[in-house]
Amino acid sequence: MQKRYGMMLASALSLTMMLSACSGGNGGNGGNDGNKGDEGSASPSSSASASASASASGAVSDDPTGGKKVDLSFWTLFSGGDGDNMQAMIDQFNKTHPNIQVKNTKLEWGEYYTKLITAVGNGNGPDVGISHTSRLPDLIDQGVVSGLDEVASATGVDWNSFNPNLLNATVVDGVHYAVPIDTHPFIMYYNKKLLKDAGLLGEDGKPVLEQSADGFVKFLTALKDKLPKNVTPFALSNSNDDPYRLWWALYSQLGGNDVIADDLKTAALDADKGAKAAQYIQDLYTNGYIKKNDPDFYKNFQSGTAAIMMTGVWATGTWESTKGLEFGAMPIPKIYDQEATWGDSHTIILPVTKKEDETKRKAAIVFANYLADNGAIWAKAGHIPSKPSVIESAEFKALPNRSDYASVAGTVKFSKPSTKNWQLRDNVSFKFLNEVWAGKMTPADAMAKMQPAYQKLLDE
Amino acid sequence: MRISKMRADVQALLFLLPFLLVYVLFTIWPMIKGVEMTFYKWTLIKKMKYLGWDNYTRMFQDQEFWAAVWHSTLFVILTTPTMIVLAIVLALIANRQSRLQKFYRSVFFLPSVLSVAVVSFLGLFIFQPYTGFLNSLLHLIHLLPADQEVFWLTELGLSWIALTLITLWWTVGFNFILYLSAMQDIPDDIFEAAKLDGASSSQMFWSITLPYLKPITKTITMLQIIGSFKVFMQIYIITGGGPLDKTRPVIQYIFQAGFRKNDLGYAATMSYMLFVILLVLSALQYWLNNRKEANA
Repeated sequence: MQKRYGMMLASALSLTMMLSACSGGNGGNGGNDGNKGDEGSASPSSSASASASASASGAVSDDPTGGKKVDLSFWTLFSGGDGDNMQAMIDQFNKTHPNIQVKNTKLEWGEYYTKLITAVGNGNGPDVGISHTSRLPDLIDQGVVSGLDEVASATGVDWNSFNPNLLNATVVDGVHYAVPIDTHPFIMYYNKKLLKDAGLLGEDGKPVLEQSADGFVKFLTALKDKLPKNVTPFALSNSNDDPYRLWWALYSQLGGNDVIADDLKTAALDADKGAKAAQYIQDLYTNGYIKKNDPDFYKNFQSGTAAIMMTGVWATGTWESTKGLEFGAMPIPKIYDQEATWGDSHTIILPVTKKEDETKRKAAIVFANYLADNGAIWAKAGHIPSKPSVIESAEFKALPNRSDYASVAGTVKFSKPSTKNWQLRDNVSFKFLNEVWAGKMTPADAMAKMQPAYQKLLDE
Repeated sequence: MRISKMRADVQALLFLLPFLLVYVLFTIWPMIKGVEMTFYKWTLIKKMKYLGWDNYTRMFQDQEFWAAVWHSTLFVILTTPTMIVLAIVLALIANRQSRLQKFYRSVFFLPSVLSVAVVSFLGLFIFQPYTGFLNSLLHLIHLLPADQEVFWLTELGLSWIALTLITLWWTVGFNFILYLSAMQDIPDDIFEAAKLDGASSSQMFWSITLPYLKPITKTITMLQIIGSFKVFMQIYIITGGGPLDKTRPVIQYIFQAGFRKNDLGYAATMSYMLFVILLVLSALQYWLNNRKEANA
């Protein structure tokens, strides 16, 4: 008798164990190679000194609530310096708008979208949220975000005050779904001291670099030859995000127009252009300009042992807070025909709510516009503000380095509004391009495998 | 007599009720609900569309799924026998009369208390090139030329070795304790008798210790197979399933389908497939064991 109970217990136990095998875990964003996720790396800069630059577009009413008190819940995914800057802007908004009080809920970046989607699905979503431009189509498709045209015209938001390149990427089927507050493109950083040692720093403090495919390689060759052996000419990770961003930039510079067609249903990778761009980057690895399997290329540049590096603008704040690092920032070189780079934007969205509260929505859009107007605070982490008027402001110009790359906002090549942008990137582009960087697959081979893999994903 | 037995049963049931309620609500009910999910296109928000058996046909044709199942199986093959040997060896060391006995016991068990994230990041620090512990050590003892690096985490074969080693180090403690207690259960007089008969220590190990460890080995093997099939987190953190998804275990694939591709219906389908695989494996093992016992 006892034995039977024991056996039952044992089998119940193993049954439970097997079942728990099937319950999915809740993972991070999978940054497994020392890559910096684009939110995690900003500097812990002090952000208290937030001088209010009053609404640039004065048309927006400051009190859309008609004297009523409105509380807005706002979900964000920012940490580090970004998190501090956002909180400073919110505090300032709450002070200057006594009738609207915004409450910030900081969520983990890795689980933000999952939580947002589930919460909105249950009717427990926030009044205001954040979305990346590239993620927006997916959120629209799932019925998470609402269109903004009505509420924007009711409060007098001037869409023309935004950079059209950033704004257009947030317009899907003719409807505005988001208020972009920045763009965070892929740019180049250089170590002034090392460039000077190599004789490649001009009088103006900028690199002496011919903007062409050969010119950039010549530049790297000079760095490699003239600098000590332990210096990496070009710090870049060997997998996932950053080399992919460089590939996307060069592919776009060649005239490549995303990897899917305008119908968003057909894979349309331009194999020749893709292979050419991939070949150029693969050569940078095989010829030893980029350190093989660098475990932490951020640290490599930060500790002054790498001459140049490329990543998103969010690194600016980090480098500034690094003692003894003399660096400069610039757009990535124009290797091919037209200027272009990889980039994405943080945007403000109004999630769908159970019952639509017009007052709340008005208050929310006023808040969103305020964040865009005060982009100079947001720019402290390195981001480029979404409004040209902010880029022209004295406050923004007073920040060092940013103006050197602010022009990039016009040349960012956004992905098309596909609901599967992130899947295409994570599950196909990364996978095959990583093999190219490791020298285990030829660029042409990779392109031939990527095309059907994109198609398979789009068909699912 | 019978009535009082029934009363006792009712009383027991009352005590069990709180647990049973929670168990049914959070384990049994989701299990049933999960089966329903496999027949739908089901996103994080809601069920979208009835699909019939589509998720199942898709699964049987999905090469990536079967590749992932194979990777998990390979992980089981790599870790289970090595785990058992290592656990026995460690238990033998800790079971010897020695002043370091307590030290051994705590040292061998200690890694088990770490969380998987800590272990994985330690693994990354140990195996990463240029600055990692292992490559630095190999440089130091001149096994590896100074201008060469071993890329433990990006070469397919090496990354399996790295994953196996880090998992062994992390989880061997629990099995070690099981073996140690089993060894201490072996009656001393058997060893004494063997000694009197002039048996060498290796004879005693092969003819006494090992046979006595047989029952616990069966249990450990079963738990180990089930446990290893569930591998996810350390691979996810250390290699991310790469290179070319060739170390991606099935749980990671399910996770990606469910929470990255937002396709919970398909993820549920694959989960139940894994459940069936494990059920069959366990049943097979159970049957094999019982048959042997019947013969003996």
